[in-house]
Amino acid sequence: MTETKQTGDSPKKDHGVLYIGMDLGTSRTSVSASNGVRETVHSLVGYPKDVVSRKLLQKDVLFGKEALQHRTSVKLYKPLEKGVLKYMSDGHNDAEAKINLKAAQELIGEAIRLAKPRKDELVYCVIGAPAEASMKNKGAIVEAARLAKVDSVMLVSEPFAVAYGLDWLDDVLVVDIGAGTTDLCRMHGTMPEDGDQVMFDTAGDAVDAELERRIKQSCPGADCTIYRVKEIKERHGYVGDPPERCIVDLPVNGKPTPFDLTEQIGQACSILVDPIVKGIHKLVASFDPDFQHKIKERVLLAGGGSMVKGLDSAIEKAMKERLGGGKVVRIEEPVYGGANGALKVAHDMPADFWEQLK
Amino acid sequence: MGGLRETLKEAVRQLAFRTSLASLKKKGVQKVNVLGIDRIVALIEAAVQRSLKSRLLGADREAVAAATKAEFLRLLRTNEDLQRQKSEWEQQKEQAEEEIDQLRRDLAQQNRSLQQRLEQDALENRNRYDGENALIARKVADVMQAIAGNQGMSAKAAEEKVMELVMDVVSGEREDAEHARRALQDRDVENLQRRIKKLSETLQQTEQRLQHVAATKNIESGISSLYREVQGVSLGDVLAHKKSELMAEIFKANLELQKRTGKR
Repeated sequence: MTETKQTGDSPKKDHGVLYIGMDLGTSRTSVSASNGVRETVHSLVGYPKDVVSRKLLQKDVLFGKEALQHRTSVKLYKPLEKGVLKYMSDGHNDAEAKINLKAAQELIGEAIRLAKPRKDELVYCVIGAPAEASMKNKGAIVEAARLAKVDSVMLVSEPFAVAYGLDWLDDVLVVDIGAGTTDLCRMHGTMPEDGDQVMFDTAGDAVDAELERRIKQSCPGADCTIYRVKEIKERHGYVGDPPERCIVDLPVNGKPTPFDLTEQIGQACSILVDPIVKGIHKLVASFDPDFQHKIKERVLLAGGGSMVKGLDSAIEKAMKERLGGGKVVRIEEPVYGGANGALKVAHDMPADFWEQLK
Repeated sequence: MGGLRETLKEAVRQLAFRTSLASLKKKGVQKVNVLGIDRIVALIEAAVQRSLKSRLLGADREAVAAATKAEFLRLLRTNEDLQRQKSEWEQQKEQAEEEIDQLRRDLAQQNRSLQQRLEQDALENRNRYDGENALIARKVADVMQAIAGNQGMSAKAAEEKVMELVMDVVSGEREDAEHARRALQDRDVENLQRRIKKLSETLQQTEQRLQHVAATKNIESGISSLYREVQGVSLGDVLAHKKSELMAEIFKANLELQKRTGKR
């Protein structure tokens, strides 16, 4: 039985061990835990704007969809941008940056709470962090998890977690399409190094921005927030031949008006293909020539962006033109792929390592 | 070590209690020995150092001291969090109790108003009935006098006269009954009843909230994990060796991260 030393009123953690795998994403944060809990929350944090809204909402902080629904009464923060904590990305440390850090920490705390840990269990957490997150950024993530009463915490690169979760450890190329960044990672039986990874910011948010631009251009008078654009993309997103016509109601002067957005959605989503294929090309070309054919046949598409219909076929088609062929497999659970992998890493980590990082 | 010293000072301050010279004199104390807080902290530190020195010969004392400090600070932080949480719960509880008290007072006030109104109505009715009774009596007397004064009046004519009187009284009573029914729907009474209903509902809701607040302290117990112990890579896994190596590398990277970011 594992036991930690506790004193005073702190609960004795002698009941069991709860593993939590977390995918900390720009758009969504997902957790999978060894008590069977799987939850996802939009990476949004809202603070009531004033005393009146606090009284109305009866909360000091709101998360995810709830924060979005009350966005007129709360100051809304999206603490992650392009895959990393926003507060340090611009090098400033002003009041806004501090609130972003606080929001990020509270988001991680909320994700831990969603996993419903018992007070008497040890909580060991593995967080999938962006492959290229800075040291300071990773430190802030670890600190946030500690504040959320996690006993021991480790970070792994997100694409690695996805591959580990599926036991694909050799000759695999993981393409993790998030909201802020797309991460490509070459797995060859060891921990990926810098040369094994490629990252760029043509990802979900870039598609949203492109779709918003196209809607504004082609649907005069239509009012559409970026949140609505995201919803439209998540519901109808496709590349290649459209599976169906995408008729969407958008308000024009207050009146819902149907628009056919089939072309706009297809064109916006297709911006993902070219940079991904270029990244694959780079990682394949720089790999051991004897194994290049193997890695081309094992391209794993993960992350929320992988839900775009026809993306796997479009990448395969482009790979055939540029690399002479290739096989792309879409992960079964794009939302929980990273969290499930992180959970598996947590499970497989020896007790001694967890103890040393406490 | 500076942070630890300050924390120790704070802890000593929190553990100390205040008393006056007068109360000490009352207890028969004439002289006191004064020991400064810095001295107390220094003694604690020295004691810890001596204890470590005597028990951990050959071991890395600095590392143990650093770990002890980290653990002490963590426990202190946990304690602060718990205190804060406890105080929040208590505040919520007090607030809910105050609301309930206020609602109870309002409810009692409304009930008193209703009672006064009903009593006033009863008095008004009684006065009205007395006047009506006198009127009926006068009418009966008039009819009886008319019958007695007219000797030649037939029995049928007398019956008609009495019947007329009775019907007059009955129709008046019917009208009064109708008025009484309407009075029951009097606006003030209705408003009062509506307020009472609303207050009762609010009271019920607040009591439920209080119960919830009281219960929440215990219900959020979480969901048990499948595992009682730390697992590690399964020996039966065909990739066990490779996975163990990967775990070691992840651990090393995280240890390095914690060292570089000053978490250790």
